[in-house]
Amino acid sequence: MGRKMNKTDEIRAKLAGAFNPRALEVLNESHQHQGHAGDDGSGESHFRVRLEDPVFADMSRVARHRAVHAALGADLMAQIHALALEISG
Amino acid sequence: MTDAKTQIDETVKANDVVLYMKGTKDAPQCGFSSRVAGVLNFMGVEFADVNVLADEAIRNGIKEYSDWPTIPQLYVKGEFVGGCDIITEMTLSGELDTLFEENNVTYSKDAAEKIREANA
Repeated sequence: MGRKMNKTDEIRAKLAGAFNPRALEVLNESHQHQGHAGDDGSGESHFRVRLEDPVFADMSRVARHRAVHAALGADLMAQIHALALEISG
Repeated sequence: MTDAKTQIDETVKANDVVLYMKGTKDAPQCGFSSRVAGVLNFMGVEFADVNVLADEAIRNGIKEYSDWPTIPQLYVKGEFVGGCDIITEMTLSGELDTLFEENNVTYSKDAAEKIREANA
């Protein structure tokens, strides 16, 4: 109870709550960026999200990304150095 | 608008293609900025580069200006186009070629095709 979720789980939970994904995958790729710019040593700096939801079908690329940014919220976005998004409708 | 946003507005309207990035087009300081600058350089696109690491007000201002939380950010004819993922996708799909053609931005179609062949 009250255990702090790791960021991978937090991202997945927020996206699952905001959308009705047909596919949702959240990958922590921080280990690929160790020692690079943006590696804060937390092991939770770089993420990749694969998200499929029909709601995105008629949205522009920028609108898709903005919808995901909004679903994650400014606080979480500010804690992540890099978020690669693969979004399909 | 704040001074920073006014400055950004003037920059993106005064230059056909502008890349807000970490570092410069000749010395990028982040892999994502490097990738987008590399695509534009390879395609022979003339663009203005703005190093957000050199100016904290611009670094924060650009995120509010476009309502976009990350760097790099590409602008064509004053319009925000996208960040690293979007530019990569548009390069591979040919949408970036179309965008440049519609806006009379000179680029090398051959170079764009080479990028697509290398990533096919």
